Amino acid sequence: MIGRLSQLGGVWLGRPGFGLSASLIALVAIFAILSPEFLHIDNLVGVVHRVTTTGIMAVGMTFVIMTGGIDLTVGPVLAISGLVAFFTFEGSASVPLSVLGAIGTGAAIGALNGAAVAYLRLPPIIVTLAMLSIVRGTALIVGGPILHQLPEGAGYEFIGTGFLFGVPVSVWIFLALAMLTAFVQRRSAFGLEVAAVGDNERAAFLSGRPVRLVKTLTYVICGATAALAGLIQSSQVYTASANFGEFGTELDVIAAVVLGGTSLQGGRGSILGTVMGVLFLGVVSSGLNILDVPVDVQLIAKGLIIVGALSARAGTQGQI
Amino acid sequence: MTAVNAPTLLRATGVSKSYGSLEVLHPIEFSIKAGEVRGLVGSNGAGKSTLIKILTGAHRPSAGDVWLNGRRLQLGNPHLMMDQGIACIYQHSSLVPSLSVLDNIFLGRQPTTRFGFLDRRTQLQAAQKLVAEYRIELDLLEKVESLSTVKQKEVEILKALALRSCLILMDEPTAWLSHSEVRKLHATIDTLRSRNIAVVYVSHVLDEVFDICDSISIMRDGAIVWEGPTTSIDRPRLINIMVGEKLGKASLESLEQKRKPRGTGDIRLSCHALARRNIFSDVSFDLYSGEILCFAGLVGAGRSDVVHAIFGAAQLDDGALQLNGEAHRFRSPKEAILAGIGLVPEDRRRDGLLLAHSVADNLVLAALKKVSRSGFLSQKRRRGLALRQIRNLNILPSNPDRVVSVLSGGNQQKVLIGRWLETAPTVLILDEPTVGIDVGAKAEIYGQLRALRDEGRAVLVISSDLEEVLTIADRIAVMAEGKLVSIHDAGAVSREELIAKIGGD
Repeated sequence: MIGRLSQLGGVWLGRPGFGLSASLIALVAIFAILSPEFLHIDNLVGVVHRVTTTGIMAVGMTFVIMTGGIDLTVGPVLAISGLVAFFTFEGSASVPLSVLGAIGTGAAIGALNGAAVAYLRLPPIIVTLAMLSIVRGTALIVGGPILHQLPEGAGYEFIGTGFLFGVPVSVWIFLALAMLTAFVQRRSAFGLEVAAVGDNERAAFLSGRPVRLVKTLTYVICGATAALAGLIQSSQVYTASANFGEFGTELDVIAAVVLGGTSLQGGRGSILGTVMGVLFLGVVSSGLNILDVPVDVQLIAKGLIIVGALSARAGTQGQI
Repeated sequence: MTAVNAPTLLRATGVSKSYGSLEVLHPIEFSIKAGEVRGLVGSNGAGKSTLIKILTGAHRPSAGDVWLNGRRLQLGNPHLMMDQGIACIYQHSSLVPSLSVLDNIFLGRQPTTRFGFLDRRTQLQAAQKLVAEYRIELDLLEKVESLSTVKQKEVEILKALALRSCLILMDEPTAWLSHSEVRKLHATIDTLRSRNIAVVYVSHVLDEVFDICDSISIMRDGAIVWEGPTTSIDRPRLINIMVGEKLGKASLESLEQKRKPRGTGDIRLSCHALARRNIFSDVSFDLYSGEILCFAGLVGAGRSDVVHAIFGAAQLDDGALQLNGEAHRFRSPKEAILAGIGLVPEDRRRDGLLLAHSVADNLVLAALKKVSRSGFLSQKRRRGLALRQIRNLNILPSNPDRVVSVLSGGNQQKVLIGRWLETAPTVLILDEPTVGIDVGAKAEIYGQLRALRDEGRAVLVISSDLEEVLTIADRIAVMAEGKLVSIHDAGAVSREELIAKIGGD
């Protein structure tokens, strides 16, 4: 059913994202029939709320994957940025400084990743796998095994728990970031350069594009968004811990990007597609929750749904 | 030459091919005699590939029959066509590089011993017999990857012969061969002819067609529009029939152009003793504004390496480089482009095009500054730039949002040239600008290069196609084995002299 709808979408409009939106609508319809409370406005906002951290990271990851790269460090970066914010606040009691420190840390780690990939020409999967280990180790040294309770009135927990016009602040952040990056990706020289590098790096280089800088910047963006996600997660649960962003975080993020129509080979993709992919994953896990599917079965179901959605897309658009 | 009364080997009657309501190949009559070498020429999209693909079994015709030796063939099955005696040699090798010549010849149908093991002795004997019979010099045990391109073509021919093929189709077999290699291939074709094997020779290089073919079929718009012995047609008439009156005229005019050696007399690019270890050395030349300087030579003579080093895309170990009188040493293409150099690389798909992107995106790639304001693209300017070059270069289809990968080779090449025109380079370098492009598009590209020259730009063209060099060059520099051997004024040097220099004599 999902596959067929998805294919129809592909045939009708032939655009990445349309097959996915058809699947998304189908999925929402199925869950709504099985459990009418799914369509309740609070639940729908909740669906988006639960995927904001994944979504924010996926937006950054989209740039990296569009160059043909990959960033596996998002989980530990999420953890360490929460810790950096915590300790900066402990030392300075300044909210802006804490936020800046956290995002700066993520961007710096991204810069290291990017430099190793772009300037040393190392394979992204190896570089970021090694960095994953390094950052996690560093986080454990910095934060230790314990949960750090955010101090009362820290101010920045507003990011994770506050509401604006009845919608969580983190959801607004996600939406604003998605719109901003979608604009950058579609309408800026940098956006075209990112896609050009992924499509044909040599051609971009021979046409005078600063290929290495562009690649590095995509990892910086990805690191910064992972740090932002870490800030949000840490303030949502009022704690910072070196163990946040556990194994599997990066897989959800990458799955969302790929579901959204971005090619793992690079060159093709869009932020809007990624947002659809994130919502798709959110609807799947939220629907399974409402249906009281046990967590272990949920994992299996999620994996199968991802493969199903991807193969439906491969059927209409070829390469993934 | 074939005996006039040789028996007809293959006859296709009423063969056509349609996709939906679009007939890409109109019902045609095509026949070839045993031992005949037939040239098949036509612009891209004329229907040559469709006809070839029907004969190889890759396409099933919508109507019509094909008869071989008086027997009706079952069509639309590549394996069956091979078994029935029709083989095809493509522009790109279909061999397995890591296997030996012998293994490639018998790949997929090796004779085996009683126990199911490969019977190398029978293989070797059979192959040696073929090699002797067709006078092909090949070490049967050598790996294919270590062979030169022409030798690989011969392996493919041997492979066809081992199948007892009586008709060999050759689709642009010389696209990657040097002059001497082409001669070698033609000698082999001569032997095939004397053994009564028929050859269909598809090529854009008309000199070769006139050189080797007994007869010629000209295709245009999905039909065979002229057919006859090679002796009954000359080159201008053939071009006229092939591309139609108007383009044919343009193509002929391009042959009779005035030469402008040293153009306006102002040196734009001056290179002195450029060298890169083990690749090239002692390359010195001046490139003037208002001239086209062609680099002739064999594939592998180091010409591409030289221009890439000038452009900052490859290492330059030694030498001095001046652009407009200023000393430079570019560390990246970006610097070279800023200084006013453009480079259209040799392999458009590998090094030039963003294949998943639109024509417009491909056109703006080198001039992003021009279409953006503080980092953001102006859709209006992007579109304006694209439409300007589409009109200027006659890029078809003219839709700037079309994905560039669906364009023909000629139009893709125009897109790459358009990309550089927008940077207004003082020096434009083009590396093999017309490989695999039909005559019509070639003439347009030559016209464009001349227009650039007449605007006072300095144009440097690398070409392995001597016909092309002699057509467009104002001066000709010859490179052989990493050294710049000589520079000539075009018109003051004969074709034979050039061939000798290119060969390193």
